[in-house]
Amino acid sequence: MSTKKQFFKKVFASAFTVCLLLPLVSCDDKDSPAPKTKGSFFLSVNGESAEYIIQTDNLETGDLSIASNSKTLLQSGHTWIFNNNPSVAIGLIYQQGSPGIGLGFGVDSDGKLKELANFQITSRYTSYGFFDRYALTSVGGVTPVDANGNALKDESGNERSDGVTFNFIDLKGGLSLQEKTITTLNITGNGEQATLSGIVDMGNGEFLTGLVVSQPKDPNAGGGSSTGTITYPDSVWVAAFDAELNLKRIYRDDRISYSSGRYRSQYYSQIGKADDGNVYVFSGSYESTTTRPCGVLKINKNATTFDPSWYFNIEEKTGGYKFRKVWHITGNCFLLELYNDFTLSATGAATQYGIVNVETRTFNMISGIPAKDKIINTGLPMAYEGKMYFPIVEEGKYPAIYIIDPATATADKGISITGATSLNAIGRLTSQ
Amino acid sequence: MKFYYCLLFISMLAVSGFAQTNGILSESDTVKGVELNEVIVVGKSRVREINESAYNAVSIDARLLHNTTLNLTQTLDRISGVKIRETGGVGSDSQISINGFSGRHIKVFMDGIPMEGFGSSFQLNNMPVNLAARIDVYKGVVPIEFGADALGGAINIVTGQTRNTYLDLSYSYGSFNTHKSNISFGHTTNSGFVFRLNAYQNYSDNNYKVKTKLLDFSSSHFSTEEYWFKRFHDNYHNEAITAKAGIVNKIWADHLLVGITLSQEKADIQNAYLMQIVYGGRERKAKSIIPTLNYEKKNLFVQNLNFALTANYNKVRSNNLDTLARRYNWKGEYEPKGTKGESGRYSMSEFDSQNAYITANLNYRPNNKHYFAVNNLYGNYTRKATDAAANSENSTAATFMKRINSKNVLGLSYKFEPNKRWNVSAFYKYYKVNVRGPVDISTTTVAEYAEKEKSFSTAGYGIVMTYFLTDAFQVKTSFEKAYRLPSERELFGDEVLETGDVSLKPENSRNLNFNISYSNVWNNTHSAYIDIGMIYRDTRDYIRRQIEQRYGGAFYTNHGKVRNIGVDCEARYFYRNIFSAGGNITYQNIRSMTRYTVNETYDINYRGRMPNVPYMFGNLDVSYNINNVLGKENVLSLGYNMRYVHAFLRDWINEGATDVTIPMQLSHDMNVTYTLQNGRYNISFEVKNIADEMLYDNYSLQKPGRSFTIKLRYFFFNNNFK
Repeated sequence: MSTKKQFFKKVFASAFTVCLLLPLVSCDDKDSPAPKTKGSFFLSVNGESAEYIIQTDNLETGDLSIASNSKTLLQSGHTWIFNNNPSVAIGLIYQQGSPGIGLGFGVDSDGKLKELANFQITSRYTSYGFFDRYALTSVGGVTPVDANGNALKDESGNERSDGVTFNFIDLKGGLSLQEKTITTLNITGNGEQATLSGIVDMGNGEFLTGLVVSQPKDPNAGGGSSTGTITYPDSVWVAAFDAELNLKRIYRDDRISYSSGRYRSQYYSQIGKADDGNVYVFSGSYESTTTRPCGVLKINKNATTFDPSWYFNIEEKTGGYKFRKVWHITGNCFLLELYNDFTLSATGAATQYGIVNVETRTFNMISGIPAKDKIINTGLPMAYEGKMYFPIVEEGKYPAIYIIDPATATADKGISITGATSLNAIGRLTSQ
Repeated sequence: MKFYYCLLFISMLAVSGFAQTNGILSESDTVKGVELNEVIVVGKSRVREINESAYNAVSIDARLLHNTTLNLTQTLDRISGVKIRETGGVGSDSQISINGFSGRHIKVFMDGIPMEGFGSSFQLNNMPVNLAARIDVYKGVVPIEFGADALGGAINIVTGQTRNTYLDLSYSYGSFNTHKSNISFGHTTNSGFVFRLNAYQNYSDNNYKVKTKLLDFSSSHFSTEEYWFKRFHDNYHNEAITAKAGIVNKIWADHLLVGITLSQEKADIQNAYLMQIVYGGRERKAKSIIPTLNYEKKNLFVQNLNFALTANYNKVRSNNLDTLARRYNWKGEYEPKGTKGESGRYSMSEFDSQNAYITANLNYRPNNKHYFAVNNLYGNYTRKATDAAANSENSTAATFMKRINSKNVLGLSYKFEPNKRWNVSAFYKYYKVNVRGPVDISTTTVAEYAEKEKSFSTAGYGIVMTYFLTDAFQVKTSFEKAYRLPSERELFGDEVLETGDVSLKPENSRNLNFNISYSNVWNNTHSAYIDIGMIYRDTRDYIRRQIEQRYGGAFYTNHGKVRNIGVDCEARYFYRNIFSAGGNITYQNIRSMTRYTVNETYDINYRGRMPNVPYMFGNLDVSYNINNVLGKENVLSLGYNMRYVHAFLRDWINEGATDVTIPMQLSHDMNVTYTLQNGRYNISFEVKNIADEMLYDNYSLQKPGRSFTIKLRYFFFNNNFK
């Protein structure tokens, strides 16, 4: 009997102790935390799923570990864009049918990360860029409404889908965000609607954007994109808007197809401005029905039409490869992302890269980067001091930065991020 | 080294008797192998049979909780090794996990029927505990009777099967304008006609307070400070009714029942996956119709040859509505915007799904030593999306094509029981899936789809055994090589050509359990029970979606290896039918054993703790009964419950992701129940989250604060077999 009593005493005593101790228990075997990075270069990387910010002052040498990140982000999958003056990194995000929380970062004089703002991005985006005092995004295919919030309808009573929603993020107004929607029905005078691709600041209070003009999309067709049947695959349109989104003019030509690189719901910019202020409008000839080869047209600085005497057939120079993305590097040089096969498919693989010089009309494939069948993924490149800093994940390797010299079309491998699965973007921030 | 201290500490906890819950005592079922002096147990109850089986199984008698306002998920949360993660109040999403497995890796059954296709309007998170007579949880090793590719375990909700006459009526009212009611009725006539009815309803405004950031319309900025706001768009209601009728005790059938369940729900959606993103008009709705059939015949043709058949068909329609051209903030204010859809994606989408299951079971016990069983489940699942405003980013024409998934699981088992001291069983499961769905066959930039068919099969096996060292000490061990078969989307990929060449393997796991339990009774006064379960899970070949730019598009591949070594401990003490105290604690050391990433680089997370999975949690409960209060047969019960979850990280620690943490959760509930006339009339009063703690199961998704509820219940029971 006494042993039983003892047993219960023990049971109760220990149960009680446990209750007291429980909140204090910690079974974490925390690794000693790596020192947090700082520096003027801002890198977005992904681990297994989360997204992190890493900073450094050196992109050429000195590999970094993902564990030394300056910050874990609440959401994963931002699109980063970087502005010089004011110096700010803007993280755009929209996730799976839900608004995202946009981020603004700067650095202090010690090179430490400084969070500037948290803003709600309700509208998704397929194009983005800088214009005047704004970072700007756009998305097409939205259903516009009247003042009472009812959907606008077309002549046959169907809800319209020709709306384009812009987000204006005010770089000089503390990164406040305004959403504005316009309609595009009959924007080009042929009764069709448009999705916008690319944003290029003209420097005169206007911006240019490529138009992908199509019939309204069959709501049951799916496809992810906001583009319906393309009636005019052999024409290109570019629109000029002012800051109030008034349509200032339309540029049209028939020498190339529309100017946009497409992948599922995405519309990649294919227009870019050279250092002399001339705007080059590329076309990767994505549409399978077009008869026009990949090429580029020019809009001279402040001109109101395409330069009728200037045309460059790029497809001739690439040996038949088409391209999907275009980035300006420096001077008259652009980086092109080319498809791996001559014939495109909707899910087309594109891991070849070349430099095009629109002044000398030359094209060269880049040497010194991994072969096209060894590239797992790439990130958003940064043009800096005449070079292109390009994140590439090679098969069997951690993500690395390749430093491309456009003059020679050669690349050198810079730093790698140990433990990361992707390097999404690079930018540079200065303390102000 | 620290890890071993942790394990040591956990085992100390176990020995010291901190564990499993329940709340109310008075029935011996909760104590294994114990017979209290007040209750004479004739034969083993089914609860006790399962608890004493060789499986690592926990069965709880839900009837003991019928005076609470718990739903079935909250009831499961009190079982060792099981963790429920809720995203909000009444009707909110809840995720069930068994020893770290969740989602597609565990299967839930109701009376042996898979609940997979029942739809959200008839799910555990909205079912009152009164619907169940018993809840069985099988950890890691699942008997063949549940024909399913359950990688990590199974749950079976057993509804009232009694042939006695009963009527159970209850209504509760509580904080946040929450109303719940339930009616259960069952009657069997002398001629063998059976009728059973169960209906329940939940209604809540869920207008509890949350602390979060405020959106400023003019700048679209979130405030840096957090403030308290009352939820203003989180109304939830659902209604469900199940009726069954049939016959019992005929020559050709021990019972034959046909039934139908009708259910519906409507839920406002208040916030996104982060609390600070708020909605004011989004809604979801669901409806389902579920006809069922149960047939059972014992001693078919020969003595001890038993046959059972269950079949059901489910038709579910669910809608997601997001039509307002507005933007809201947490004050409930809004401003108009230029396009439809608060979430930025205008939606009136509608999904229809249909499925059917049929399970047949034949078992034969030639004598007390041998037992043979064969079980076959066939399931067929069809899903179709119809979205009137299909602006979704990743939808394609294929999204709107029909997808059919059919599955057959055949199980065979043999049990050898030489005497009452020990028994051993072995089983074999053969799985086959057949899928039909759209595949991209395009050669240009214009997508083109064709329907394709594919089948897949694999086999699993297991062994379970138990031995009674003494009447009080029992040891058990069980093992299963378990599988989860790939779904149609995984087999065909995300509309990509290349997946046709990829040979996907099923996700598989080697699950091993070892349990030791002790239960005893002293002097017909004290009784105690302790169970320590050690688990080992070696899970491999996770099916994951991968996107590589060099291939374009996405494809599915097998990758990843995870090991879980854990302990579930539970203990309980009873003093007569007056006092009980018990609790459980689970520690699971779930680590990635993936040495290399999909891209064949060294995986920095190798040996790292799985993020966003609670790894240490427990429950504690105490109850005290005062008998004969204001009259004989009247009992006043006082109960206390504590829920504890250790803090955990949302992301991988090895990646340096220490910024996003789900803090330690400790909450306390109390209840008082006054039971009159031996349980005929019951009045309960509950206080949940007494300390008004800010509770989170998921990052940023705050759960309700302190709440009060009163429940009235009438229970009539007539033993028809006196």
